[in-house]
Amino acid sequence: MSELSSQLAANLPENTGVRPEWLKVIRETGAEQFRTHGLPTRKDEAWKYTGLGALGLAEVQLATGLNIPSANTTQPSPLAESGLQLNLLDGQVLELTGDAPPGLTVLPMADALGSGVNGLQGLLESLSVKHTKAASGQGFSALNSATLDSGVVIHVAAGTDARRLSLTWSTSQGEKPLLFNFRVCVILDQGAKLELLEQFESNDENANTSNMVMQVDLADKSNLQHIRFQQESDKSVLITRTEVSQQAESEYAYFGFDLGGGLVRHDLHTSLWGAGAKSGINGAYLLDGNRHVDNHTRVDHFAGGCFSDQYFRGVASGSGRAVFNTAVCVHPGADESEARQSNANILLSTRAEIDTKPELEIYADEVIASHGATVGQLDELAVFYMRSRGLSEEDARQLLTTAFCKSVSDKLADPVLSEVISQRMMDVMPQAE
Amino acid sequence: MSSMLKITNLHATVAGKEILKGLNMKLEAGEIHAIMGPNGAGKSTLGNVLAGREGYEVTQGEVIFNGKNLLEMEPEERACEGVFLAFQYPVEIPGVNNTYFLRAALNAQRKHRGEEPLDSVGFLRLVRQKLEVLHIGDELLHRAVNEGFSGGEKKRNEIFQMAVLEPTLAILDETDSGLDIDALKTVAEGVNRLRSKDRGMIVVTHYQRLLDYIVPDKVHVLADGKLVATGGADLALKLEEQGYAWLEDGGIATLNVESAVPTANP
Repeated sequence: MSELSSQLAANLPENTGVRPEWLKVIRETGAEQFRTHGLPTRKDEAWKYTGLGALGLAEVQLATGLNIPSANTTQPSPLAESGLQLNLLDGQVLELTGDAPPGLTVLPMADALGSGVNGLQGLLESLSVKHTKAASGQGFSALNSATLDSGVVIHVAAGTDARRLSLTWSTSQGEKPLLFNFRVCVILDQGAKLELLEQFESNDENANTSNMVMQVDLADKSNLQHIRFQQESDKSVLITRTEVSQQAESEYAYFGFDLGGGLVRHDLHTSLWGAGAKSGINGAYLLDGNRHVDNHTRVDHFAGGCFSDQYFRGVASGSGRAVFNTAVCVHPGADESEARQSNANILLSTRAEIDTKPELEIYADEVIASHGATVGQLDELAVFYMRSRGLSEEDARQLLTTAFCKSVSDKLADPVLSEVISQRMMDVMPQAE
Repeated sequence: MSSMLKITNLHATVAGKEILKGLNMKLEAGEIHAIMGPNGAGKSTLGNVLAGREGYEVTQGEVIFNGKNLLEMEPEERACEGVFLAFQYPVEIPGVNNTYFLRAALNAQRKHRGEEPLDSVGFLRLVRQKLEVLHIGDELLHRAVNEGFSGGEKKRNEIFQMAVLEPTLAILDETDSGLDIDALKTVAEGVNRLRSKDRGMIVVTHYQRLLDYIVPDKVHVLADGKLVATGGADLALKLEEQGYAWLEDGGIATLNVESAVPTANP
């Protein structure tokens, strides 16, 4: 085990006195798994292209249990004006503004753990079980379980349309870079609807490591729109695992925008358990400097008549490195499923690198599946066409690369939010080198 | 008075192959010149050279446009100085809205001229005017530049861009190719409405048909990288009757033209 893993393992919190008992079991199991396996290394297949060495993680200190002065951190301005706004600092709920519609419950994780929110225990335990099956490469989730106490639980009651809830994440500045562990649980009862807009922003002063696990449970006919926008500092590390469980005719739509971050890793996994469930997983990543963004997505079709669509666009310049791994598995019996995968990338420099790998396994009948992955350069004829109308070469290239990524933000239902995100992408669009 | 456009002894190569081999031509403000000629004569090369497309290398000669050396300018400078090329194959640009693109282009040109940028309201007003004059519906505005456009829509979009950008020198590169007769008429009408005493136009075409609707002041015949004959609008009709075969026969004398340049080197 690496020095960092040993250091983190030695600093895991004590579990004596932790109540309820099931929480104690989750934390102890996580701790045990972490002590056995540690953080993932390049030897783990899923981490082959993403090493943890580059970013001075060795210096990092586990934030759990530390007394951090939570001053001097400015909150990023929200992407959207409308809806409920929830600000979290170091994983603790700082403030909730706006009126929560009846049927929507937002609880700090610490409170929710003690109050017995319906379905929460089962949801938290479901992740714990997965560790024992395949612990290797899941060190971050084990660490997250071992420290489970911060984050937020969101519950939407049956038939409620809770509309937009914005979640803004920020962390405090410590003496050393800190490692925070957050857990988010989103539970939508039958027919419930929610738009969750997550925003991560930091500057070099409060550049930390965040290790986040999100668990989503979608009952029959529920609908979650999940938008994640991150513009972290180049010195920040953001590790996320999202597990989505979908029942019949539920809908999950994810839109991820990676504009920043020194090292970003997102494992996004949806399981389609009920017939007619739909999963749309979309993302755009913009790389420059020495930044590294790794998206691993996977959809498991367990029931028939389900639909999944994975759509990612990426641009890399400088010495940026993007990894995109998308997998679909259509299990036996999941007949008449449809699965689409599409990933296209633009390389703007000779030093930038993009590794893209689609995986497709089908064990059912009457399945429609398509996949495509490309890495290319900008269309030079299009650049000339735009210049011939008066646009500068720089503007033409910026407009073209933005348009390429905008095909992701254009899918957002809210045109105002779509425009805001598209503009933010344009502002940081990497230039050709 | 100096010409709006003066091309002298223009030689250009594409991928190492010489295409233009000493082309001479003058265009005055207010005139429309047609350039006709067989396939491979260099018609499209001329348009691309004038617009500054990469890969079209000028090896000899000069092009003076309104007293300035055109060949020294970047493509966007040429556009800002008033040069417009209507592409033979307009490029599809997925994700870039047609209106947004055109406004960005117009404002880049206005900035070059030291004018204030047009805001979206002002721009839309201008666009509505132009659409009305050109009898074009506004459905093209909301789509991505040329993406999924039919051949006719692409060509109409080129003419629409030209109408909005109001160039001093417009070069139409086989704008008639691939158009049915109705689309051809629409495009020709658009061009005719843009005729003005301050504007020069070069209409490059393979067929005479377009010239029934856009009557040129002069017709040039381009063959093997040079202008080999120049005449009035009736020259186009003669070409239509006799085809281009006479060029190979060296039979220029059979045509009653204003001037004929010997094709053979002495």
